[in-house]
Amino acid sequence: MNNAGARAPAILIVDDDEGHAILARASLEAAGLSNSIQHFRDGQSVLDFFFPAGPGPHAVRGGAYLMLLDIRMPKVDGVEVLRRLKADPELRNLPIIALTTADDAREVERCHALGCDVYLQKPVDYDKFTEAIRRLGLFMTLLLIPPAKKS
Amino acid sequence: MRTTVKELQDIKAALDQHSIVAITDASGCITYVNDKFCSISKYSRRELMGKDHRIINSGYHPKAFFHGIWSTIASGRTWHGEIRNRAKDGSTYWVDTTIYACMGPAGEPTQYVAIRTDITQRKADEAQLQRYAEDLAEKNKELEAIVNTLSHDLRSPLINVQGFGKQLTCACERIQLAFSAVPDRAVPASAVRQPLEVAIPQALKFINAGVSRMDALLAGLLRFSRLGREALTIEQLDMDAMVADAFSAMRFQLDAAKADVRAGPLPAGFGDKVQTSQVLGNLIDNALKYRHPDRAPRIVVDGHLEDGQAVYSVADNGVGIAPEHQAKAFEIFHRLDPDGPPGEGLGLTIARRVLERQKGRIWVESAGEGGCTFHFSLPSTEPQPLPMP
Repeated sequence: MNNAGARAPAILIVDDDEGHAILARASLEAAGLSNSIQHFRDGQSVLDFFFPAGPGPHAVRGGAYLMLLDIRMPKVDGVEVLRRLKADPELRNLPIIALTTADDAREVERCHALGCDVYLQKPVDYDKFTEAIRRLGLFMTLLLIPPAKKS
Repeated sequence: MRTTVKELQDIKAALDQHSIVAITDASGCITYVNDKFCSISKYSRRELMGKDHRIINSGYHPKAFFHGIWSTIASGRTWHGEIRNRAKDGSTYWVDTTIYACMGPAGEPTQYVAIRTDITQRKADEAQLQRYAEDLAEKNKELEAIVNTLSHDLRSPLINVQGFGKQLTCACERIQLAFSAVPDRAVPASAVRQPLEVAIPQALKFINAGVSRMDALLAGLLRFSRLGREALTIEQLDMDAMVADAFSAMRFQLDAAKADVRAGPLPAGFGDKVQTSQVLGNLIDNALKYRHPDRAPRIVVDGHLEDGQAVYSVADNGVGIAPEHQAKAFEIFHRLDPDGPPGEGLGLTIARRVLERQKGRIWVESAGEGGCTFHFSLPSTEPQPLPMP
């Protein structure tokens, strides 16, 4: 799980629906992406990943990440995750693709207002989904969490 | 000349039959009232004579309203408008009013003739219509939210059905390819093991779960929509008996969980017995279902009267609901913890709908960990029957 220094960002799939996460992973792999992929089952676990609280895997300083974020999740939802990440000076540039199951204009607006980079309606066809991600060229974006500051 | 006087008398008699009439002198003191004025204001003629119209002021209109009337009629113009007055017994009534200024030779009003029509019923109807309109707007918003949630919740399993259906197709193609690559029956197990042992069972698992989920959602939706159409029989409810019934219906589960249940004396409320029992049962069931793993459940049902409402509470010492999740608890198909005890996320949505149809309300209070208290209210007096559904 350690991506420190690697150019290809680790892809973080945050989705409470296990099936959706498996399909997303399968289509990303089928499309030939060799990035490491991690699945988080809810908003809280991915927040714990970036804002370490207790044991469990944590984001690596200097690591590159790209997040596929489901918006509608129980408890801590995608909007809340977005809000927390965008409010953090070091994490605000993390590229995030928000995913939603239904087309909801208000939700789209809310995510854009929170500084979401790309917003995709979860397509039933995951091939199109991968294509969209590729077209957006987000994999070309290198995103690094700044290394720990030396004090 | 005689016929003219007769004619005027006839017109006045007809006017008295139709309208509320009063005449005041130039300073506003009542010099004449007809029978209709007395009957609607519930004052006798003697009580009214010599008084001004402040005697029937309901306090509803601001001072400026009456200033406006005076400045209009004092300048000799006719005033027309709607006024809410107060009768002697304190009841109020609305009158559509025309005040005519009778001008003297000096160009000053000498007296005022006020002719009024009782529009109390029309005003009440207008207010009722306004309430219906607001109600409808609220219901529309609610419906929109339900459609929104549903489209998401139905699409979610559909994505799995379609996505894993595609995986099945792929697995099938791989097996076919393995078969076509070699002479008959010599297919190596290694070529078909992955699809048969991993891909296909996984796909079937998600497809079946997705289909079941959609089925459950649609069944729940039907149940919810049926509720809104069921006729209500509003009666005075013996809540003490209903709570006792609810507890005894769940006696087995309550005993199994070693639950400590209590119910205080409850005020009577007005509602539909069957549907209100369902709400009670659901709240008690929730209190038991979401009990804390480390302590025996305690369920306390209580009630009191407040502002014409009977307010009941079902308090538990279970896992509680964090403040930020409380608003969502009543959303259709929303489940705060999908990994928690089974349920379709419909119980509280239905409880809210049932209570709203009975002019009641439901809300929750919880500090999180320590458990939660669901409150619901019902009218404590017999509600007025409404002409519209």
